[in-house]
Amino acid sequence: MRLSRSAFLLLVPAIAVFTGLLVLPLGGILGESFRLFVPGRVGSAADAPYTLANYLELLQPTYVGYFFTTFRLGAIAAVVALLIGFPIAYYVARTRSRRIRNAAIALLITLMFLSALVRVYSLELTFGPIGAMMPVLRFFEVSTNSRAYIQWLVVAGLLHFIVPMAALTLIGTIQNVNPRLVEAAQALGALRWKAHLTITVPLSARGILSAFLICYTLCISAFVVPMVLGKGKVLFVSNLIYRRFSEVANYPSGSAISITLLVISLVIVYVVSRVAAQRW
Amino acid sequence: MRRYSDDLGLLLTVLVIALTAVFLLGPILVSAAMSLDSRSFLGPFPPPELSLQWYERFFTEEYFLRGLRTSVILATIAAAVSTVVGVLTAVVLDRYEFRGKEALTAFFLSPLVVPAVVVGFALLLFFAKVGVIDGFARLLGGHIIITAPYTIRTTIASLVGISPSLNEAALSLGANERKAFWEVTFPLASTGIVAGTVFAFAFSMDDVAVSLFLTDPQNYTLPVALISYMRANFDLTIAAAAMFLVVVTLALIFTLDRIVGLDRIVGQGIYRA
Repeated sequence: MRLSRSAFLLLVPAIAVFTGLLVLPLGGILGESFRLFVPGRVGSAADAPYTLANYLELLQPTYVGYFFTTFRLGAIAAVVALLIGFPIAYYVARTRSRRIRNAAIALLITLMFLSALVRVYSLELTFGPIGAMMPVLRFFEVSTNSRAYIQWLVVAGLLHFIVPMAALTLIGTIQNVNPRLVEAAQALGALRWKAHLTITVPLSARGILSAFLICYTLCISAFVVPMVLGKGKVLFVSNLIYRRFSEVANYPSGSAISITLLVISLVIVYVVSRVAAQRW
Repeated sequence: MRRYSDDLGLLLTVLVIALTAVFLLGPILVSAAMSLDSRSFLGPFPPPELSLQWYERFFTEEYFLRGLRTSVILATIAAAVSTVVGVLTAVVLDRYEFRGKEALTAFFLSPLVVPAVVVGFALLLFFAKVGVIDGFARLLGGHIIITAPYTIRTTIASLVGISPSLNEAALSLGANERKAFWEVTFPLASTGIVAGTVFAFAFSMDDVAVSLFLTDPQNYTLPVALISYMRANFDLTIAAAAMFLVVVTLALIFTLDRIVGLDRIVGQGIYRA
């Protein structure tokens, strides 16, 4: 059916909402990102000259470091989430007990919906400097103030969020892999882990990739987790953007960082889904 | 034929599941225990005696209650607006074929890949430029744009499952387009639509990254209040608040299960009897 006049009218609210609350604001920061910032002001002046300085600044090692930390810790968390999520999803997808299946799915969905604040606060109360795990950490002489430990805590925070997400996405995928294939391979003499590695994993490659994509995009745009668990020592790009607003009101720089983060995220999503479409 | 590597594999799987369960649930149980601590300071785990003092403090603190009120009103309105926008949009995207449809669908789902902080920051500058000063209006704008993609997506998903011949049957029996939609398509899609509304409500209630940029001293959400409080003083009022949020989440999940059935969110797959 072609788009009639009345059908177009139905799209008007969405187009208005998305234009007014997404396109124009993003266009606004794109413009702002090329404006010169004079320290002491709030944002750029209306007649501020155009400049590339806000982007060039990001090439300094400090800023490259923030991006590197974000993408590296995000990638670690996403890969670990898949490694943990896959066996869980497999177990839930193949279990014969309806009760176990329903309970596991209910638990995973509840954990996925849980507020980010509940997660970070609970992790801090457990693994933080005053946490319940402190006696153990002290025994192994782990310094809860070291950058390395804080990095792991941030990764743990990301995992708490994305492991349920990865498992839920993969349950759907694994359910669509015929279990007879693995049985056949085993009957023909393959070891079980080898049968999974050569049959279940390749057949769910598409689902694994899309789960990775979901987890990774969530990780690199994470905000609350690095803000609370990072304690100012481990900052993600999103925290840097917030600081540009809350501490210095350098909106041109905040805009340039936002645009850079947005472009990199979109490129990652595009490239990964392109690769997926070509290979499978 | 039994193989040791098979047993080992199973053992490993069970071990991974058990450790993950401890990692995911352990910290929450620690919070739950600490929220009942009777000490007036943040001492080491476990609490020596139990009391409800932190809950009392949370529920009598006007700063938190104000945030909670704003959050509930905001999430309700944002979820309602997003649902209406989402249903109208999804109907067109599902029923009609037109040039640029793929691109338009991708565009409407794009906020899912735009980092929330970027949305918040962009809205902050935009609202300042066009002169939207009222904190509640700014928050509402932010929450609508982050929840609308979810309602559009869940509604499309529920419409795809409805056979077009049902609509055609209604039309051939004399109903007009509007009547066919309201009496045939809409009731069939309604569970999916309500699921989208619950999602939208939950995401709005939980948002920090967008809200933090758009609040003012009178209009702030509960998560924003909690995170500001947490940065100033890390006491156990937050533990009580966290348990309150857990209860809210459980209530939402229960609602979702009653309306849609949690199993349907995941689906059954094609190889199950």
